[in-house]
Amino acid sequence: MIRPLFALLITSAGLPAAETAVFTLKTMTAQMKYDLSEMIVQPGQPVKISFENGDDLPHNLVFCQPGTDTAAMALKQMENPAAAEIALKRNWLPDDPRIWAHSKMLNPHEKEVLSFTAPAKPGTYPYVCTFPGHAMTMRGELKVEPLGEGLQDLQFALYLGSWKQLPDFSKLKPHREGKVDDNLIQVKLDDYKNEFGVVFTGKLNAPKKGSYRFFLASDDGARLLIDGKEVVNDDGIHPASKIKEQGVTLDKGPHEFRLEYFQGGGQIELYAAWKGADFQITPLSKWLHPQWQGGAKKQKEFDPIPLVVAQEPVIYRNFIQGAGNRGIGVGYPGGINIAWSAESMNLALIWRGAFIDASRHWNSRGGGHEKPLGYDVLQPTGEVTPAFFITDKPDAAWPQWDKTKRYDDFKWQGYTLDAKRSPTFRYTWHDAAVEESFTISGDGNKPDGNAKLTRTLKISGALPANAWYRIASGPFESKDGGFIATGPQKYRITAADAQLAGANLVIPAKPGVMTITYQRAQ
Amino acid sequence: MKRFFSLLLAFSPSLWAVDPVEADFYKITTFETPKETAIEVGSIDLMPDGRLVMGTRRGEIWIVSGAGSSDASQVSYQLFASGLHEVLGIAYNPKDKNIYATTRYEITRLKDVDGDGRADVFDNVNDSWGVSGDYHEYAIGSRFDKAGDLWVTLCLTGSFSSAAPFRGWALRIKPDGTMVPTCSGIRSPGGIGFDADGEVYYCDNQGPWHGACTLQHLVPGTFQGHPGGNAWYNLAPNMGTRPIDPIPEAFQGDRGRKEARPGGDPDRMVAERERIKELLPPAVYLVHGKIGNSATAIICDTSGGKFGPFSKQLFIADQSHSNLSRVFLETVNGIKQGVVFPFRSGFKSGLIGGRMDEEGRVFAGGSDRGWGARGGKPFCFEKCEWTGKTPFEMHEMRAKPDGFEVTFTQPIDPATAGDLKSYSMREFTYAYREQYGGDEVSEILPKITAAKVAADGKSVRLTISPLTKGHIHELHLDGVRSAEKLPLLHSVGYYTLNEIPK
Repeated sequence: MIRPLFALLITSAGLPAAETAVFTLKTMTAQMKYDLSEMIVQPGQPVKISFENGDDLPHNLVFCQPGTDTAAMALKQMENPAAAEIALKRNWLPDDPRIWAHSKMLNPHEKEVLSFTAPAKPGTYPYVCTFPGHAMTMRGELKVEPLGEGLQDLQFALYLGSWKQLPDFSKLKPHREGKVDDNLIQVKLDDYKNEFGVVFTGKLNAPKKGSYRFFLASDDGARLLIDGKEVVNDDGIHPASKIKEQGVTLDKGPHEFRLEYFQGGGQIELYAAWKGADFQITPLSKWLHPQWQGGAKKQKEFDPIPLVVAQEPVIYRNFIQGAGNRGIGVGYPGGINIAWSAESMNLALIWRGAFIDASRHWNSRGGGHEKPLGYDVLQPTGEVTPAFFITDKPDAAWPQWDKTKRYDDFKWQGYTLDAKRSPTFRYTWHDAAVEESFTISGDGNKPDGNAKLTRTLKISGALPANAWYRIASGPFESKDGGFIATGPQKYRITAADAQLAGANLVIPAKPGVMTITYQRAQ
Repeated sequence: MKRFFSLLLAFSPSLWAVDPVEADFYKITTFETPKETAIEVGSIDLMPDGRLVMGTRRGEIWIVSGAGSSDASQVSYQLFASGLHEVLGIAYNPKDKNIYATTRYEITRLKDVDGDGRADVFDNVNDSWGVSGDYHEYAIGSRFDKAGDLWVTLCLTGSFSSAAPFRGWALRIKPDGTMVPTCSGIRSPGGIGFDADGEVYYCDNQGPWHGACTLQHLVPGTFQGHPGGNAWYNLAPNMGTRPIDPIPEAFQGDRGRKEARPGGDPDRMVAERERIKELLPPAVYLVHGKIGNSATAIICDTSGGKFGPFSKQLFIADQSHSNLSRVFLETVNGIKQGVVFPFRSGFKSGLIGGRMDEEGRVFAGGSDRGWGARGGKPFCFEKCEWTGKTPFEMHEMRAKPDGFEVTFTQPIDPATAGDLKSYSMREFTYAYREQYGGDEVSEILPKITAAKVAADGKSVRLTISPLTKGHIHELHLDGVRSAEKLPLLHSVGYYTLNEIPK
């Protein structure tokens, strides 16, 4: 991704003014947070914020002076009924002189574009939603910081060669040399596309003695030197997705700047920047790293809450990705986990290793489906698809899940925990009653642990004619009395009377006990 | 500075003593909870031996012993079940001695067959409503009603629409597990409970078609106001034909430019009641921002006086304000209506579940997760008890054909209570419309023409002109003093006048 740096414009008054800083700030659905926790702009810079309320509650966006206790300010609106009455009439916008810009109170799914000029005084300006109860978590910081100085007298030297890491350029003869007019590090793409290197040299002025931080990202390798000493090293063949950074103390005044870069093949990217105590991250390259674009920080995700399986199985009923909306997760001691669907009355997922991370559901409003935390996730029969089916064509494709309908022939009855607290799921299909349980052998936490899941179904009562039980969808390879699923997840499945019918592994369903094993194939 | 101010108060002749505060009359105790989890209380019920059973947002069920003790350190917890999908309804069944949990998509009966204190059988009692995977589709369940039924109120999808069957409905589950669709028009329920007669109510939350949170009477067959789930009348033949929809936004002009609609605003509950025969207006508007912002549990005082002077009244918990409000209800012209008063604030987190025991102890708890709460703690489990001192409060407020009768918990000072200047009233309503929430509109400042103190000195009869059907009548009694010259602990009440008595 290559983006041009914000251009500096000259206003009619002759003062330099930055281009408008444009942000899209959204409310996070069900989380009582803005999606940006920080926005960085320059003093006096025009700012345009597209504020989108995708949440199900009203929210506003209120900018305050540095040092404002925004939570206290919002709470003050409700300190007594008289205050609340006034606040209500003001649509929960506090009557407070520290507020210098604000949106209106957006209803759910409304948006508003805010345009203002950033304060001239550098500082950290908090922003907050002042609807009652929101200010504790729905907040962020607008950082007003000037840009630092750029490079001066920037020169380049282009070298040709094929390298896997940076060569010693001092021993090579440049193919071409010259001046970089706009003093921004850049790679001109009209010369060579592959197998070249560039050394940039110039002067960088430190406005005062102090610490500075340098940032570098490149595809392929690069390193950055100040006064002949390496500060950041990003050498080797790699994409530019990760920014490397390092702090260094500089004396006041000009310093020798040197940046070495090489391109092997493929994508060409080179980003460099620096930051001081009194100025924001200031690009030294013509291209701007996507992470610097807009000068905003994304809200952090939640800390994980992994549910640890110890001596007994752990049950987790919630929205599990791949198990529909009535999924029941079970983490068994022994490192195998399943998700069973109380909608399709079928095994929805099997996976090895860690069970599940509850942080999505146990933070904020808990929206969304959580994926299994472990690995080798197998979905034997597709999402929310029953195994029992009446058909004279067992090779036919099974029906797709229709979220608006229930499988009327099935009745979910519940589960019973045995002495080891392992569940037996109970349901009926037509006139038959089914009890389904699982046992584990081996160690699913180890790749070579020979972990095996044994599924036992006890079917009593009468089954309809032409009743089939589908174990899994293929493709399969029949081998050593079992069937190897050869799709993305390689599992070995065994069951008495199992047979291949087209892409399906099926059993003619009949009352009695049915045992199916699942094992990760090497 | 603060001390100086208190000194001033102390020497002020009209305020000889420091004014009473809520905590003088109702004490809140905060319990320690197990460290290994977050006890985000979603529901509470009583066991016959005095223990509590609590369901949590994390899907756990805890049996709590010793919470009734005067020594809070006597409390202990036993994990009865875990891994359920959010327990926002819990009910102990005295008939079969089992615990019933209302979870996201199912009512589950939990049995402890081996008697080790942990559930081992989890039976699906009923799961006949839909769940689309949307986070907002909460299912809030009741205790057993007098017929032995459980009630479930089902939040709309995203709190706006109905992507799965019976989202936006109240359902009853009979003892045999069958389901009866019972009321339509639910938006975003926060709690469900009974009055002293066993009538069923739920709290809805501010949003589309709701200018404020409300306390609503679940009369079987009624439409409770939000049309989002009415497509499911086709699955509820017992409910008859689908009611006509309310007008989404009758006003087509630009309110920002103060344009008026010729003929006035028809988007009023009182007007739509004339058109939509199934529409039952909220019994009480829990005035937004003043009483609460997120109404949840409904707790009836059935302690026969052990919780103070408010026997048989309802206490409404609020998640956002972390408080309890107090409701007195009456039946006027065949429907429920009444008044809400502030009662007790200062709970440590957003209240969600609550229950009173026979000794008049209110157990309540909740969390601030996803919706901020004033309390400030992420979750809490607390107890609220009467200290034995009777606050000077309005006791009841009843509608009369030409005004209101207000009774008090203590004798009133006839001079101030008989003085018209001691009172002020303001009437307003909310637009009944599709947009989210809404302002207090159509304000009327009526005249209070008489304030007649009863001979026993415990009530006052106010004559008001005009009374406005469908409006909330906000009464302030700032000048009224008790016989002991004390001001009211809470000097405001909000009466929802659905009907004017004949």
